[in-house]
Amino acid sequence: MKYFIIRNTTIENLFGNLNISYSNYDDFINIDKDADIIVWFYLLPIKPSPELLVCEIESYFRNIQLVYNQIHLYKTFYIFTLQDIQRVKYQICDFSVECAVNSFNKQVIEFADLHNNIKVIDFADFTRNYSCDQLIDWKFYFMSKSLINPRMAKSFRHWFNRQIEIIQNARKKCIVLDLDNTLWGGILGEDGYEGVKIGGDYPGSAFLMFQQNLLYLSQSGVILTVCSKNNEKDVLSFWDNNPYLTLNREHFPVYRINWKNKTENIVEIADELNIGLESIVFIDDNPSERELVKQFLPMVEVPEFPEQPYLLPSFFDNLLQKYFMVYNLTEEDRGKTEQYFANSKRKSIQKNFSDIKEYLTSLEICLEIQTANAFNISRFVQMTQKTNQFNLTTRRYNDFDIQGFIDSGHLLYCLSVKDKFGDSGITGGIILKYLNKETVEINSLFLSCRVLGKGIETAFVYSVINKLKKLNINKVLSTYIRTQKNEQVKDFYEKLGFNLLNENQTIKNYSIDIQSNIFSIENYYKITIQ
Amino acid sequence: MKSKLMDIFKRTFELEFVDEFISQKNCEKWDSLNHLNLIVEIEDEFNISLEPNEIGEMIDFSSVLNMISSKVSK
Repeated sequence: MKYFIIRNTTIENLFGNLNISYSNYDDFINIDKDADIIVWFYLLPIKPSPELLVCEIESYFRNIQLVYNQIHLYKTFYIFTLQDIQRVKYQICDFSVECAVNSFNKQVIEFADLHNNIKVIDFADFTRNYSCDQLIDWKFYFMSKSLINPRMAKSFRHWFNRQIEIIQNARKKCIVLDLDNTLWGGILGEDGYEGVKIGGDYPGSAFLMFQQNLLYLSQSGVILTVCSKNNEKDVLSFWDNNPYLTLNREHFPVYRINWKNKTENIVEIADELNIGLESIVFIDDNPSERELVKQFLPMVEVPEFPEQPYLLPSFFDNLLQKYFMVYNLTEEDRGKTEQYFANSKRKSIQKNFSDIKEYLTSLEICLEIQTANAFNISRFVQMTQKTNQFNLTTRRYNDFDIQGFIDSGHLLYCLSVKDKFGDSGITGGIILKYLNKETVEINSLFLSCRVLGKGIETAFVYSVINKLKKLNINKVLSTYIRTQKNEQVKDFYEKLGFNLLNENQTIKNYSIDIQSNIFSIENYYKITIQ
Repeated sequence: MKSKLMDIFKRTFELEFVDEFISQKNCEKWDSLNHLNLIVEIEDEFNISLEPNEIGEMIDFSSVLNMISSKVSK
């Protein structure tokens, strides 16, 4: 990624060796055409008079619009919010500079809401950790016009890189929690129901706050699970009977409460949720358990746990900043825990049916297949970016690529799945490109692992093919491109009845004549297609 | 002090090797921005504060070293 930063003062020392070019001061006309990401980073200039400052700030937003009009839609535009680090104020009651700064920031936030390729970087998130004297060293300002103290460079760079990661959505999915002295004070097996500290006075109050914070995190799409060495019966009855617990049985789609090795349990949890170990953060107060997990499951993140319960709020804040911050939450994120809950319930009723068809019928599965549109495009894009295992070609696209496909008349469908246990939301997609009037090619096909294992993948593709038949398409071409993660779908097209044309180490090409074939779908799915 | 200073040079300029003949003239990395970074590192490491005119005089390894010695001994 190449960055181009539009700026009004010296800031090079903050960014170090990143691949960045810089504008001239206050030059928002000459933009580096080779850059992938354009950044607006203005610091409030040093001016003695509030009137002059306000006047200057008021010009910024118009200039940002000018920049935006010059850059292409497929480029990303990061805009730093403005902060009045150096207060220019001669009367307590004069709020003109604060108001101008706030109104600029508000305009930027609203502007970003309208355009998918604009992201706001909240500079206050960095500056709030420091005082004015730390942020500005006048000596260096006069020597080099570098307003931010060069001493801040390292922590700034660290913070900035983290912001980029967050925007690019590097978020962990799941927390595995210990119970004793982690979610509550004391040891349930020794101290008993009455002796365990949760709620009330310190330290119970600190553990309660920790539980409340975790609850909020789970509502934003992080899955909470438990792995604890305890008697399962004791914990379940404690969960069901203690009214002061914020987190209980209904918040953990999966738990392992037993005396087995924790690494084994964690692997099982990942397996049951169908997520990778690299998506897991393990939280345990016991250093030897942490060490064990670090040793044997190096992909799992294992943060240090504070010894004093009053440090839990800052522990939680670090956890959030480091692993779970997102740029914005989608509707899918918000419903995720419920979906995983429904999935693990599904797994448990599966055992009671002898006949798989009977089981699938009992699920009342509904597939809704819709063309990609303004309401689902962001989820569609997210899935092209994040789906690894059931992804036939693993082509990654952004909003503008997808909009481009729609505009040029290609066929894009997304799949929503629900059953009697819950709505999984949009969990699959397919991109079909017209090669000519009678032939289309499956450019991309992907499904989320959450919905696999119920024949949905076949029903989805067959429904789409039946739709293509009605559109007078004769032939469908398709491709499998091997990656490290999509081994499970290497024979998917064979299973569907496609003919293998040729293959090499990484690619398999197929075709099928659809008008002369019948693609029948099991009758236990209720399917609607747009 | 000399070896500490060498380390600062290496770290700041991200160089594998630095000798005592390094100067603004012969080292490409020693530009005006890195000069500031160098000053910050030196001030923190030796717990001294350098004045702008002094900073301007520190143009090669020996002048930097002399400046630090005179500051530290005070």
